[in-house]
Amino acid sequence: MAVQGNYYFAIVGHNDNPMFEMEFSPSNKEPKKEDHRHLSQFIAHAALDLIDESMWTTSNMYLRLVDKFNEWFVSAFVTAGRVRLICLHDVKNDDGIKNFFMEMYETYIKHSMNPFYEPNAPIKSAAFEKKVSFYGRKYLTG
Amino acid sequence: MSRQNLRAIDPKKVSGELFTLTYGSLVAQLLKDYENVEEVNRQLERIGYNIGMRLIEDFLARANPGRCYDFRDTADKIQQAFKLYLGVSPSIGSWSPGGDEFSVVLDPNPLTEFVELPDHLQNLRYSNVLPGVIRGAAEMVQIEVLASFIADSLKGDNITEIRVKFVKRLEDAVPAGED
Amino acid sequence: MNIGKQRPSILDKSLSRGKTEVSLTAYALLFSEMVQYSHNRVNSVNELHNKLSELGQRVGIRMVELLFVREKNYKRETKLLNILLFIKVTLWKSLFGKEAEKLDRATDDERIYYLIEKEPLVNRFISVPRDKSSINCAAFVAGIVEAVLNATGFPAKVTALWHKGTTYMIKFDESVIARDKQLDGR
Repeated sequence: MAVQGNYYFAIVGHNDNPMFEMEFSPSNKEPKKEDHRHLSQFIAHAALDLIDESMWTTSNMYLRLVDKFNEWFVSAFVTAGRVRLICLHDVKNDDGIKNFFMEMYETYIKHSMNPFYEPNAPIKSAAFEKKVSFYGRKYLTG
Repeated sequence: MSRQNLRAIDPKKVSGELFTLTYGSLVAQLLKDYENVEEVNRQLERIGYNIGMRLIEDFLARANPGRCYDFRDTADKIQQAFKLYLGVSPSIGSWSPGGDEFSVVLDPNPLTEFVELPDHLQNLRYSNVLPGVIRGAAEMVQIEVLASFIADSLKGDNITEIRVKFVKRLEDAVPAGED
Repeated sequence: MNIGKQRPSILDKSLSRGKTEVSLTAYALLFSEMVQYSHNRVNSVNELHNKLSELGQRVGIRMVELLFVREKNYKRETKLLNILLFIKVTLWKSLFGKEAEKLDRATDDERIYYLIEKEPLVNRFISVPRDKSSINCAAFVAGIVEAVLNATGFPAKVTALWHKGTTYMIKFDESVIARDKQLDGR
């Protein structure tokens, strides 16, 4: 089981636009306050250039750790269609994050095959949120 | 090793994904062009009607289905055509007491494989091309029918059901010279 | 409205395995209706090609991720030649059941590649009127290719031309060529 930590997950589109975000905290802790999200967004956004650089040096989708900011690690996953999945975490949990990314990738593919979903648009789906939150509990906050 | 697609290459077959996504793209285009959902429903039915009018020739040539003696034969042929063209076997049932109305229950519906209707499009009849095909094809063999969806699993119904109702025989339309 | 009804979620299905098939006739008739519909709404051959390309792009963008998961074992393509081969082999086999016939590079412009197909599936059942012989409905397929290239980070403009059957002319952005050379230099 993973060490209990805090996580922020974002899906970022081709125009550096956030398509989806969610935070995870250990179940025994209060979720962090809203202003925390702005910092997370800032850190994730700052990592985009590094991700865009390293995605051309490997064919792997999972790029592992790409950046660090104070206590936050930044892990990333780039899909074949260059959708970036980003995870901020304050504990090490390589396997859990990798599994989480894989599940999120598959969930994203199913969502995006719908003819009514425009690529790069914000993902507004209760079913999608439910999946993210389920896999977040399963692989991240335990 | 990567898993290459080992689908047998049948020149008479085409990828179901290509078909489903192409149809989805057409529906998306119609919504963009018309904006009005009712009008999109009508257009889809009309496109289906055109397809049905042309499909029937191929069906008669390939399936050698014989004559339709009554409406039950028509129902069987529709079932057969779904199998031949879309690779699915709908069930036929819910006959009216007079034998002039039946249901085609689709499970699965190959058109909606990847589809979920957004909340603002709950009135869209996404697969409305299908009743159109039935109407068009029947008309070419001198049977006028009404066909429409009465249930759709895309909208949360338990099944996807097209109701087909016999209207009349179009005897006048028999081409001259045919015995 | 269907208040209280539980709509199924596409997220609960398994990922499409690409095993289903429909008859060529069914596809042919759908495709020609789509062309007819588009044709009725445009004023020129060029507009028709753009419209068909747009319809194709919606298909292409939805195949990208699926194919890399299913056929490429989650490995992205980073090199220009590899993405072209992916299109010629993997994409073509999945959509059309066979590889595209030939891939050529223009001799006078390093940004231009040609993908050649004697008889594209979509042209097998469309007869173009004599007075509009420049219409090539493979513009739809060109749209599929363009979407795949743009999504995977190789932005290009793809057009379908009547030449040796149908030739898809792929013209990459300058930036793609520059990046590819830089990666070679590593």
